[in-house]
Amino acid sequence: MWNDVAVLFREYMGTGLIVIWYLLCLVWLWLNEKRSYMRVLFLYMPLALLFLYFNPLFAGLVYRVADGEIYYRILWLLPITVAIAYTCVCIYGRMARDGQRRANLFALCAAGILGISGSFIYSSPFFSRAENMYHVPDVVVEICDAINVPGREVRALFPMELLQYVRQYSPMTCMPYGREITVDKWNYYHPLREEMETEVIRLETLVPLTREYICHYVIFRPGQKVRGNPEDYGWQRFGQVDGYVIYRDTQVELAVPELD
Amino acid sequence: MALQLLILACLLLAVPALAGGLWGKDRSLLFRWISGQFLLWAGFQLICVPLILGKRSFTLLTELYLAYMAALSLLAAALEIGRRKKGRGSGRKEKEAGRRPVEGIALWAVFGAVLLFQLAQAVRLAYADTDDAYYVAVAAVTENSDTMYRVLPYTGGETMLDSRHGLAPFPIWIAFLARLSGMRTVTVAQVVAPVVLIAMTYGIYYLFSKELFPERSGQRAMFLIFTELLVLFGNYSIYTVENFMIARSRQGKAALGNIVIPFLLLLLLLLLKKLQEKERIPFSTYLLLGTVVMTGCLCSTLGALLVCMAIGVAGALGAVCYRRLRILAPLMLCCMPGVAYAVLYLLSGS
Repeated sequence: MWNDVAVLFREYMGTGLIVIWYLLCLVWLWLNEKRSYMRVLFLYMPLALLFLYFNPLFAGLVYRVADGEIYYRILWLLPITVAIAYTCVCIYGRMARDGQRRANLFALCAAGILGISGSFIYSSPFFSRAENMYHVPDVVVEICDAINVPGREVRALFPMELLQYVRQYSPMTCMPYGREITVDKWNYYHPLREEMETEVIRLETLVPLTREYICHYVIFRPGQKVRGNPEDYGWQRFGQVDGYVIYRDTQVELAVPELD
Repeated sequence: MALQLLILACLLLAVPALAGGLWGKDRSLLFRWISGQFLLWAGFQLICVPLILGKRSFTLLTELYLAYMAALSLLAAALEIGRRKKGRGSGRKEKEAGRRPVEGIALWAVFGAVLLFQLAQAVRLAYADTDDAYYVAVAAVTENSDTMYRVLPYTGGETMLDSRHGLAPFPIWIAFLARLSGMRTVTVAQVVAPVVLIAMTYGIYYLFSKELFPERSGQRAMFLIFTELLVLFGNYSIYTVENFMIARSRQGKAALGNIVIPFLLLLLLLLLKKLQEKERIPFSTYLLLGTVVMTGCLCSTLGALLVCMAIGVAGALGAVCYRRLRILAPLMLCCMPGVAYAVLYLLSGS
């Protein structure tokens, strides 16, 4: 457990540079901050919290009642952003008394150093231009709209890359498995996934499983190799969206409710 | 769409700003907005959790919470009218007008531009976070099925009550906004909520700056620019609050790290300042701390622990440093909601 706590701290620090600047800011505040209530909040409290964070007794208690993976969130109580910004402005204020140009230079250097020490948030590969006002891929929107039946739920088997978006957009679209299957550490097994994610899908194995899990629709990703002719198994080609092919299994009943 | 946005503006800006008037007359509009939202969130948590555990419908929650909002708004409006009749409001306005920031206009412009950039990015960019498959889906399912935590969010289909997650029902608040505005839940979660919550975070940083640099408006602007810089370059680890703020702002844990904890630290700063100046701690400060604890519980199941830890540590340090042991009892009372939810959490797991 001690190792876990240390690893989480290391991962929280990332490159470690921002935390180093934070520690230097604490030292500066220790030497220069005169207001005692500021010292309590910016110095004594973080030190007490770090003591608790690294305290095996406390860590053991938290690990026992909560998921250990989120233990790092205790570090959110450290006012890192506020303390660094405050210290930079205080140093700037002091320097400005001796000369504005030097102070401005310091502010620019500090900003530059902080920028270099961190990592630009929008450079994360997980960001992409939103395709619509739902922030889910257009293909998910179009597939869900196509297979949706007013007044009832439908169940569809989607390829892995679309799983996480489907029920955010359409809670009326059910799936035999969802995002839980994509998390390796959860070790979630589903026979349909094994068959769906093979290089060449064998319909003779897949079709009985999709019927067992009452899937009205199955969606294949673009270029998916399939062994067998879907029509021979009672599957109708329902449509195609951006290369994704939608099949409707005519042998799985899909009664359309009468709506007022 | 315009009507939906208007309703959301009313729910997320006007009502909290009005309700925040209940905390007293000598507060800025920004403080009123943020503290009013905390009052609303605390009420939401108080109403929502018993209904979830009692397996009641989402519609009933909507009705009860609307009644709560209406009651708070009416009470606050009545108080405000009373104050204005007594002529106290105008004096404050004049005082505030005299304090308008004139120093560092260029810095304020930079801050405003960078803030607008971040808000635009929240609308323009999508972040692929797999946790949304749970939190956003819970909100969407709730709005659609009229049940709370009784449908499997990942796959659909009814299940037993998920009482552990139900103790921190932030997604249900998103569903409430969607139900009332008529906007699709996923849009409220992915677009509207991030814009409002990111703006609120900077609002809290602004309040911080007013406490840290009460005299110098230019330094306040510079402080805010540095906070923006630290947020924008806060991707040095996926665990930082800055990362959560920009990438996952619609999730309760992001609100915990970026709104609840900073606002709590601000309140603790004000509390410690009063202790140092040997002033009496107003009852409203403790009440506000209580609403922060409740909101912490609304955002995340770990929220109770974090918020109570911060209050406990700061309270103990303040009591020792300023020899005011008497503050410990009311601070402990503030933490009681958190303790109650922690007990419920442990019971639900056993």
